[in-house]
Amino acid sequence: MNPEFIKTICPYCGTGCGLILKVEKEKVAGIYPDREHPVSQGTLCIKGWFAHEFVHHPDRLRTPLVRKGDRFEAISWDEAILLAAEKLEATAETYGEDAIGGLCSAKCTNEENYLFQKLIRMAFGTNNVDHCARLCHAPTAAGMAQTTGSGAMTNSISDLAGAECILIIGSNAAESHPIIMGEIYKAVDKGATVIVIDPRKTAVAQNASMHLPINPGTDIPLLVGMMRHILDAGLHNAAFIQERMEGFEGLRNFLQSWPVERAAEECGIDEGRIRNVAEIYAKAKDAAIVYCMGITQHACGTANVHAVCDLAMLCGKIGREFSGVYPLRGQNNVQGSCDMGGLPNVYPGYQSVADPSIQEKFQMAWGRELSARPGLTVTEMIASAGKDIRALYIMAENPALSDPDVNHVLESLAKLDFLIVQDIFLTETAKFAHLVLPATCFAEKTGTYTNTERRFQLLRQAVEPPGEAKGDFEIICLLANALGLDFPYSHPGEVMDEIASLVPAYGGVRFDRLERAGLQWPCPDAHHPGTRFLHEHKFTRGKGLFVVPQYTPPFEKPDGEYPHYLNTGRMFAHYHTGTMTRRSPFLNRELEGAYAEIHPEDAQRAGIREGDRIRLTSRRGSIVTAARISQRVLRGSIFAPFHFAEARANILTNPVLDPVSKIPEFKVCAVKMEKEPHEDEE
Amino acid sequence: MLQKVKDIARSMLAEKQADGVLGLIRGQWDIIQPHVFDNLRQVDSLVLEPKWLLAKMAMTVLRSSPEGFRLAVIVRGCDERALTELTKRNQIEKDRILTIGIACSDEQASVCLCRRPYPEKLDAGEAVAGMDPFQDETTRELLVGDGPARMEKWAHLLRRCIKCYGCRNSCPICVCIPCKLEDEVWVETGVIPAEMISYHLIRAFHLSDTCVACGACQDACPVHIPLVALQLSMREALRQVYGYEAGLDPEKRSPILYDLFKEPAAGQVLPDWVNTLGKRDES
Repeated sequence: MNPEFIKTICPYCGTGCGLILKVEKEKVAGIYPDREHPVSQGTLCIKGWFAHEFVHHPDRLRTPLVRKGDRFEAISWDEAILLAAEKLEATAETYGEDAIGGLCSAKCTNEENYLFQKLIRMAFGTNNVDHCARLCHAPTAAGMAQTTGSGAMTNSISDLAGAECILIIGSNAAESHPIIMGEIYKAVDKGATVIVIDPRKTAVAQNASMHLPINPGTDIPLLVGMMRHILDAGLHNAAFIQERMEGFEGLRNFLQSWPVERAAEECGIDEGRIRNVAEIYAKAKDAAIVYCMGITQHACGTANVHAVCDLAMLCGKIGREFSGVYPLRGQNNVQGSCDMGGLPNVYPGYQSVADPSIQEKFQMAWGRELSARPGLTVTEMIASAGKDIRALYIMAENPALSDPDVNHVLESLAKLDFLIVQDIFLTETAKFAHLVLPATCFAEKTGTYTNTERRFQLLRQAVEPPGEAKGDFEIICLLANALGLDFPYSHPGEVMDEIASLVPAYGGVRFDRLERAGLQWPCPDAHHPGTRFLHEHKFTRGKGLFVVPQYTPPFEKPDGEYPHYLNTGRMFAHYHTGTMTRRSPFLNRELEGAYAEIHPEDAQRAGIREGDRIRLTSRRGSIVTAARISQRVLRGSIFAPFHFAEARANILTNPVLDPVSKIPEFKVCAVKMEKEPHEDEE
Repeated sequence: MLQKVKDIARSMLAEKQADGVLGLIRGQWDIIQPHVFDNLRQVDSLVLEPKWLLAKMAMTVLRSSPEGFRLAVIVRGCDERALTELTKRNQIEKDRILTIGIACSDEQASVCLCRRPYPEKLDAGEAVAGMDPFQDETTRELLVGDGPARMEKWAHLLRRCIKCYGCRNSCPICVCIPCKLEDEVWVETGVIPAEMISYHLIRAFHLSDTCVACGACQDACPVHIPLVALQLSMREALRQVYGYEAGLDPEKRSPILYDLFKEPAAGQVLPDWVNTLGKRDES
């Protein structure tokens, strides 16, 4: 009868804030911030405060659906699981096992992701499993693994409050990771210098000590310019380099070709400012580099990450508290879904599928023959849909909005022989499915998420699923068993024990140890307290490695036909493809529809006023959206959030890929802008 | 103090004075969270720390509980004052709420810059002396002295606002429906930061005579805006001019609503802190 208060974790971004759900009459009736939470300490952003609003939405999927022509019909779970198993098996038999692909999910728990990749790898002997981490921090995983041996944020969120200098590159944390921004302001209140590198005058930039509005896609010139000056001025940490690094000669030689003058010309920032910023960073006692999609979502994303690491290692500002490199992870469990092996080249714990001894270990543990050949990435699977890939199993992902060149994605999805989509709402992607499986949201499940600071955190079930919907955990087990595998799990804790037995770095992670404040990996044994910052005495790979960051300018630059740069990203009240936030009345009240930010001078030249309907067109397609005239964008640049199905910014974006990590160049493409007639004038 | 609170809670439940007691529970694995205690054995796990304001939660618990349900709340001074204000404003039925008043420690009082770190009805613990927030150096920098410089400081701090609505959501007295801060006429939607005047000052002025300085807003602010200081000058004006403090006396109505005829006489000099942000009138 009394309301119950259930502690759990926010389902939105990778900060992983603590929520207390108020449950009344079997419904989540409200949210309070958790004052005891190690990260959020009693605060939340607007999305967290209203995260309960979509939970009981009438649009929630309540029963399995099967496509009949151009509509869906409800079927039973037995029929649905049988159909899924039969179709997947038949596809594998006809076209080979690599014709099957699976997208796991950064929205789901560690245990669900572990089981999902295990199912795909075991049942079909293929490594075609990937997810949207490909579209955000794949360059971080690849780049930081090369330089340090670990593709994760080096320090803890709370370390930011102790830094003297914080360099923020391509992150609008005030809108995308607001609680982490609060930690940065703690440093500011103690006198820290915050330097923001971003082509947009974001909310973060507006409140910074300094803002360097670089030309889009010129992060490497700026960073190597800084490094060159640090080297010339003798501000590098020679002892650290001598003792802990390798590859210094290569970097030094490379920097010879980047005098500060050249860097300045390329990135559009005054030479003196580059030198000044370099000195502030290098001279600070403790300095942190925070970065996000502005670094990674480029065709040179991995090289961008190399440049960030090189700078930190050149100054010895890594492997210590209050310093370090902070890639801010986007989704609530994108760290975990990568950790759990939701990637085509690695098993859980980043253990290479191509390494025979690792393959042997997993074959022994799982009792099946496994493939040593890395699978396809999400962008590759979508591109080859209907050709090499005939059937896809998508768990809680929405590529119909989130992937670049969406028109092409939709064509590809339509070509699949069989598409299974498992989700909580009928997403734009689910509309293409042959079979839709109704799953559960964060408030309806138990399991763990891993936040951006490597912290395993416990999610506690507060309410029952709607209708006949089942937890992703249970659905995967049902399907696996129907495919002839033995998935006997009854509780996620058993899965965590299995994970701990297969991944040394998570060896000490057990559910009962996570109850109070979670655990930060590496946590190798049952008595290990977890790790606040990485690389303390030695790098995960042994010595740190300087990797030469080869600069490639953005693939598309504005020209006569497409004269504007387009930049895409998030705004504070909505989240990714809007599946949840756009069904939250309070968040929708904040912003109901799509818009694009345009510089006042560009608007004036085109005769566009605030709120006018405008058409944006790139080489790949066009969208109609509303103009928001703003000084936040540079002259010649346009910013469009990608949350909106009715004006999909990703229709415009360029699918050109980073050669290493296969991330598309979301952050830069060329568009033209035209005023549209009012709807009633058409 | 803890033992005494447990004894009172148990007797309230045993004697059916209350159907539930809202307080903090320390559960398995030392997890601390709010909880409605409704059986005697659970009360063993009751704790009093950390400071966790419960007045607003109490109001929502009462709203969704069956008619006649009586709730006891473990209150600090500020929580008690908030419940008094809510009762005065007909948000809580007086005979459905009981309190178990606890005193704050010296340390807590100085963290909160609290003038009255104890409830009027004190059931457990020793009341410690309060402090004058205007004696705090950081607060003085925000509230006293050169106007334009302070204006700059406030504008700078308020520009951090990420518009989480946490200050409003956590405030025990912010209960208006509809809320002015959700009115597009006043607060532009879809952009951050929220405007200084139309968001922060509307909120501050709406609470001018009800704010009990509990600090829930400031505790909930992810970007560390000193929101309590924003209210202090108005609270101080009411205290000095009208002898009024929100939440102290359940029978005493706000002078802003009822005592307008007691306005300071024409020509009476206002103390300088009343003119908080504008230009100082030197005459």
